[in-house]
Amino acid sequence: MSADPGLVDTDRNTPTGSIPDLVAAFADGIDAEIDWTYGSEETLVGMLERGDLDLVAGGFTSDTPWMDRAGVTRGYPQIDGADGREIVMLVPLGENAFLSALERHLDEAVGAR
Amino acid sequence: MTVQRIGRTELPDEQRTALRRAIRWEWFTIAYTSVTIAVVALVVGNSQAMRTAWIEDMLSLIPQLAFLVALIFVRRRPSVKHPYGLHRVMGIGHLVAGVALLAVGLNLAVEAVTGLIAREHPTIGTVQLFGQTIWLGWLMVAVMAVIVVGPVFFYGPAKAKLAPVLHNKLLYADADMAKADWQTTVASIVGVLGVGAGVWWLDGAAALVISLGIFWDGWRNTKTAVIDLMDQRARTYDSKNPHPLAGDVISTMRSRPWVKAAGVRMRDQGQVFHIEAFVVPHRGKVSLGDTTDLAERITDLDWKVQDVVIVPVEEFPDGVDTSGRG
Repeated sequence: MSADPGLVDTDRNTPTGSIPDLVAAFADGIDAEIDWTYGSEETLVGMLERGDLDLVAGGFTSDTPWMDRAGVTRGYPQIDGADGREIVMLVPLGENAFLSALERHLDEAVGAR
Repeated sequence: MTVQRIGRTELPDEQRTALRRAIRWEWFTIAYTSVTIAVVALVVGNSQAMRTAWIEDMLSLIPQLAFLVALIFVRRRPSVKHPYGLHRVMGIGHLVAGVALLAVGLNLAVEAVTGLIAREHPTIGTVQLFGQTIWLGWLMVAVMAVIVVGPVFFYGPAKAKLAPVLHNKLLYADADMAKADWQTTVASIVGVLGVGAGVWWLDGAAALVISLGIFWDGWRNTKTAVIDLMDQRARTYDSKNPHPLAGDVISTMRSRPWVKAAGVRMRDQGQVFHIEAFVVPHRGKVSLGDTTDLAERITDLDWKVQDVVIVPVEEFPDGVDTSGRG
């Protein structure tokens, strides 16, 4: 999780906000346990590349410069607190099934454009 | 657009019709390919194979454009400045198309190999279509399967039929590449499905196959175009055999009683031939009436041989074709 006012609040052990809620619901849907990690974008993307993380979320938009180092979801501007930004989440490169499942979940939870 | 004449050559009805059809097919191809490029752009995603196929589509426009541009020039009559006409423009177009394919094919092959070495895992997500979330890979497969219909079943075979009639190597190469387009389709579909099945390297491998195909097309076309521009003896439209007209010209010459020995130098100007007909006359003499008559008989042989020079000689220069055979 990368903190972002309005989207992700990382003051407590378990993050709160619209994005953590979406991620938690997604994890529920695929019977996964969440182990939250906080960090800067670069740290998180590095961990994603090494396989230490499965999903990176926060204030990433579809203009994210991490495009080459991570699989990027479609943009979801309807997420609460997005303020018109096209919010995306990052997954490890090549995780096609996981990415598809995540996008499917987000389509249902917040609706596609 | 009707083309009556190329250079000094009045086109016979058959060629005129064929040329009109060829022009129509070229425009159709450009329109079809433009739509293809636009549609593929929507689904190209993160797949290197799709990207390569997409660039191939863009490249495939070059032969059509070269053909249509060349036609503007080859129609001009010969002048003092351009005594042989401007037929070579077709060959130059062929060369340009070949070099473009060669360079881009090589570039894409290098890209595919570096991607494979760097173990780049292509990521293909989903799209929303009519309220349904579907995997983009399925769309890629569908698009590739649909767009292949044009080149393989329509304009590829149509142009392949017209190219021999017009003796146009650029058109022939263009048709040949269109007919081979199914290989690109199969490769890209295999690549995308491979990614879907978790075999990440299939995408890069497919991209490599497609780019090598482009490179190979470029190599063949560049080679043919260069050799023709260097005035090799005229060969058939597919460059496979020496053109049989050489033999016909030689027999026509030999059939004249005043001709002791005959040989030709026949070069392909791009669609039409330029012929130097060397004659060794009996008794070392020749009349103007005889040479004029012979030139007429040769030009009557075929629409492609309208530029004939009769050269009476004592001995043939090196490289003269005296058999007309391979």
